[in-house]
Amino acid sequence: MATPPKNIEGFYKQKKSNTSKSKSSNSTKHAAATSGSNIAQPPALVSHGGSLDLEADDFDEEQQVLRQFDMNMEFGPCIGIPRIDRWERARRLGLNPPKEIESILKRGKVKRQSLFGGRT
Amino acid sequence: MEVDSPEQLQRKQSTYLSFDENFEIQKEVYRGQQYSQIYFARLHCMRALLYSLVPNWKSHLPVCTVLGLEEGKECIIVGTLYKHMKLKPCILDEYSKERSVAPLVKPHNFIHQDDYLVLEDESGRVKLGGTVLSPSVYVTGVVIALHGKETSAGAFFVEDVLEAGLPPQIERQLKSREDKYVVFVSGLSIGSSSSNPLLFQLLVDHITGHLGDEEEQGLAAEIVHLVIAGNSVEISRGLLNGQNLASKDQSRLSEPFKELDIQLTQIAASLPLDIMPGSSDPANFSLPQQPLNRCLFPGSATYNTFRSCTNPHCFELDNIRFLGTSGQNIDDLTKYSEAKDKLDFLESTLRWRHLAPTTPNTLGCYPFTDRDPFLIDSCPDVYFVGNQEKYETRLVKGSEGQSVRLICIPRFCETGVAVVVNMRNLECHALTFGMQFSS
Repeated sequence: MATPPKNIEGFYKQKKSNTSKSKSSNSTKHAAATSGSNIAQPPALVSHGGSLDLEADDFDEEQQVLRQFDMNMEFGPCIGIPRIDRWERARRLGLNPPKEIESILKRGKVKRQSLFGGRT
Repeated sequence: MEVDSPEQLQRKQSTYLSFDENFEIQKEVYRGQQYSQIYFARLHCMRALLYSLVPNWKSHLPVCTVLGLEEGKECIIVGTLYKHMKLKPCILDEYSKERSVAPLVKPHNFIHQDDYLVLEDESGRVKLGGTVLSPSVYVTGVVIALHGKETSAGAFFVEDVLEAGLPPQIERQLKSREDKYVVFVSGLSIGSSSSNPLLFQLLVDHITGHLGDEEEQGLAAEIVHLVIAGNSVEISRGLLNGQNLASKDQSRLSEPFKELDIQLTQIAASLPLDIMPGSSDPANFSLPQQPLNRCLFPGSATYNTFRSCTNPHCFELDNIRFLGTSGQNIDDLTKYSEAKDKLDFLESTLRWRHLAPTTPNTLGCYPFTDRDPFLIDSCPDVYFVGNQEKYETRLVKGSEGQSVRLICIPRFCETGVAVVVNMRNLECHALTFGMQFSS
């Protein structure tokens, strides 16, 4: 596969029909134990237009912020609890979760469950 | 009441406040969550508490997470204990090739000298070493703070332990009170072959004042409340074999309840009563057990003195706080840890500030996501556990002036013993009913 031209994703949105966990999500989980990491997908792994495991719109900044929220162990485990409920719980326990997460979640266009929702 | 006495005895009364809301699960929605959520809630609340207690304990030491441990650096870590037990029954034993290791007869207690403790928080877990922490005393699920350092082998050598200790207690004005008694009974086991209906009838007659002369009736009039702490009925196992019951057997299923309801109606007509579910009652299995359905008590539920309560049960009478369970929490501690007597287990749960630390590991519990309802925030004045072998009691004093009366309520069907607590001074005595008189 030749390296794709820049902004190929901007031409057409591609979504993979079935998703599967891959190495990159594993490494994210590991790094999050300490702080939270920037998910940098090296360009060579991205085949034309789509991605191996991440949907194209996961590179969206909002999704990044939500992933960081999911992975942050300070707020407890993210599996099995909807994101908004986890945010509410964090607020009630006095953990001061960032307010922007609440606004993103209330806007409604994002996934209810964490990034592991349905995949485990 | 005797008709020919000049004045009628009035039963004393007290104000009642229920705190069972915490244990009710009607509002909970199951969304597929696992038990990691309740462990997180428990760790978070207890850790915040322990962090606040650490400066008074050892202020000079740094506090760090398990992942932040460095070899040889003395520090304090806080986390949830996990006890690895060799003899603990494991579902995987069925698939193990070495079947001979698992004993055929289940031991009463799963302790082994090779058990070891592990401390866990979100960042990691570390095996605990040293002799200060004795694995037989602790169980999985307790949150504590430890002072020590990491060894070259990667374990954490414990030098000192900090438990949360007794929770703060609201001061009660006990001096200007009159004698008022609360009666506790548990393990009535109506419907079992060993229960004697006469003994319970004697208890009912005594409490309602139908027994004895004026002096005794006067004593009975000072009883303000009755608490039935679980296992009120026992349904014969033969009826519960999963097959459809023939119509003639269906009446056998409901007979224990009819009998119980008749007795409870007599009681409810006379004084307020709380009935808690137990392990043999028709309530849900996992803690917190929900109140027994009022349909089971068609006669007594019509009285407003009848209250069906959760297990665990928390209430206040005249500002004296009572907290207790029907016994499953202490019975589970007995299986997985060791202590001199049941009162020591009771005291441990208070010092760990958790009613049932073994939930959800070995004791069933609802998978709460946002809280752990078994955490004890406020120290009760009376702390009871039902369905134990014998009547035992002790007064425990805390480091900040707390004072708690611990009570083990024995099974009534086996012992004929009920427990009476005086709300004026928290003194406790046994009320024994028997049918045989020694000559």
